[in-house]
Amino acid sequence: MQEIDQFKERMDGKISHLIDKKRRFYFNVESENIREVAEYLFKTLGCRLSTATAMEMMHGIEILYHFSLDRAGQYFCPRVVITDKEHPKVPSITSITGGAVWIEREMYDLWGIEFEGHPRMEELLTLHHPQGLKQPMRFGRTE
Amino acid sequence: MGWYNRRLAKSLWVFHISGSPCNNCDIEILDLLTPRYDLERFGIKLVGSIRHADVLLVTGILNQKVAPKIRKIYEQAPKPIFVVGVGTCMSGSCCFRDSYNIVENREAVIPVDLYIPGCPPKPEAMIAGVAKLLGVLNARN
Amino acid sequence: MSVNKIPVGPFHPLLEEAEYFELKVDGETVVDIDLEIGWMHRGHEFISESKTFTQSIFLVERICGICSTSHPLALVHAVEDIDNIEIPLRARYIRTIVGELERIHSHLLWLGLAGHFIGYDTLWMWTWKYREPILQMFEMISGNRNHYGMMRVGGVSRDIDLSIIPKLLENLDVVDKKMVMIAGAAKDDPVLRSRLKNVGILTHQAAVDLCATGPTARASGVAIDVRKDDPTDAYDLIDFNIIVLPNGDVYDKLVVRVLEILESTKIIRQCLKKIKVVQGAILNDVKEVSEGEGIGRYEAPRGEVFHYIRSDGTNRPIRHKVRAPSFVNIPTYVASCKGIPVADALITLASVDPCYCCTERSIHLVDASRNPLSVDLLKMSREKTEQVRREVHG
Repeated sequence: MQEIDQFKERMDGKISHLIDKKRRFYFNVESENIREVAEYLFKTLGCRLSTATAMEMMHGIEILYHFSLDRAGQYFCPRVVITDKEHPKVPSITSITGGAVWIEREMYDLWGIEFEGHPRMEELLTLHHPQGLKQPMRFGRTE
Repeated sequence: MGWYNRRLAKSLWVFHISGSPCNNCDIEILDLLTPRYDLERFGIKLVGSIRHADVLLVTGILNQKVAPKIRKIYEQAPKPIFVVGVGTCMSGSCCFRDSYNIVENREAVIPVDLYIPGCPPKPEAMIAGVAKLLGVLNARN
Repeated sequence: MSVNKIPVGPFHPLLEEAEYFELKVDGETVVDIDLEIGWMHRGHEFISESKTFTQSIFLVERICGICSTSHPLALVHAVEDIDNIEIPLRARYIRTIVGELERIHSHLLWLGLAGHFIGYDTLWMWTWKYREPILQMFEMISGNRNHYGMMRVGGVSRDIDLSIIPKLLENLDVVDKKMVMIAGAAKDDPVLRSRLKNVGILTHQAAVDLCATGPTARASGVAIDVRKDDPTDAYDLIDFNIIVLPNGDVYDKLVVRVLEILESTKIIRQCLKKIKVVQGAILNDVKEVSEGEGIGRYEAPRGEVFHYIRSDGTNRPIRHKVRAPSFVNIPTYVASCKGIPVADALITLASVDPCYCCTERSIHLVDASRNPLSVDLLKMSREKTEQVRREVHG
């Protein structure tokens, strides 16, 4: 697809592990480059940020963003792998798109990932929880 | 007390609270007020304040965050109050048994007098439940 | 400028779900809004990891009672996306019929609630009365009024028998006739128009920046609809329009939903016609899901429902992400609620059709009656309608 080829050319050297399926394009990107990728996808291509999925795996914590190019029905999914599981940190993309505010707060709440530059880094769902539930989606936090 | 129950059975005022439901039971409860089922012909109406209520309808699994609020509402209710647990969630947690956010013992949060199981219970089932409650009230004379 | 805070919820008589808004008001104008959620959180993504793909279908149905088929549809699309599984043609039409019926009943429900909020209780009773034929159609097709359990990976679980189609069409005719009448009444009523026009405007720019979806975005001029952008099931085989309006106010959101109901009846009629002639299986029995990831989406009545599945080749997902449309639509309050009079707050909050059980799979409630500043927002909203009626009719 033309947009994907242009994207690959523009981000050459910054993206890796490309998986190009029908209408879904997944790729890995380093956390220091995620803002540049998000800016290109949101502002230049005109994608909409649908959501972001956080997953704790054995090798680290993965954040998979999902940008939807609505006019083509195509999804661009940059993946950031954070190897520091004790203090996971990623630059925030809230200054690029306001839709990321709640999405990043949810990931902070359930996984403990800190987004640097987020205007309001506090829990979304477990704020004022009476039993003090903390990061329930991490390994071993809940029986 | 018999006199009180007889009067009560003529016109029950109902307060509905949702304790982490999926909302289906809540919509079916509101459905009972609409023209097809029309529970108002029995004198039953939905009120806006717990202090006016005779019956408390509770739905949902009661997650840990909402449980203290539900307890507070129950304590604010003027006694005697009849608590009706609507739906499979109140009767037995439905499929959310394994959740990290569910209360261990729902009965400790709010004691329930009548369960109406179903996911969601059909309006006919809820009307049957209400009729049973009225029967219980009348029998307590 | 002295700013007062009005907390609303969690247990507000009018809000069926628990949600806590804090409106900061200066005089009669809302200057800011804050939300706390979390009282409905049941941890679906955690529970999913211990369920098989088929069990997950029943689990995600219970995320929300009103969008009960949107979540299973998005889930099965996600699993089918991993291996690009083919769906039999008959199953595609049946899925579309169930999805569109749900859209009609959800929009009718919203119309009724919106009517109730502004004091048109007749509208509430009428729209909910005409939801009943739709729920009867569901009962004929699936056996239950809600939570149908019809979707499976690779197709559907129940067929639509040809003998019930005349009764289905009869019910659809009843709803259609009334919807045309309600649409006409909404268009012609000067009080409704004055009450709702230019209230709670969400600009095009804000809708794009906050990534809104569904009728909330389409009423602000953003022409996105999963049924046209990324068509699955039978949406690329039938003829329909998407409704886009430019103003972004509550009136436009109402008109978008009313017109979408009329489009949905068109879609259902076309599908029922096809069901009579298309033969074949209704399920492509999938025995294995390979390792990989899949994204599934569906245009729910409130917007785009997004499911992501990561599979490792076994029969359980290792990660199941759910994002309901209200999660991106509710934050638009910060843009649409600023500068509106307090009497309009309730209808603006309701206009995005918030489904809190979908959003957080959790809800937040606050006891409004304990706060001395608590104001009866419903009463204010209804009084404003009376005032507008007096002005319009002179």
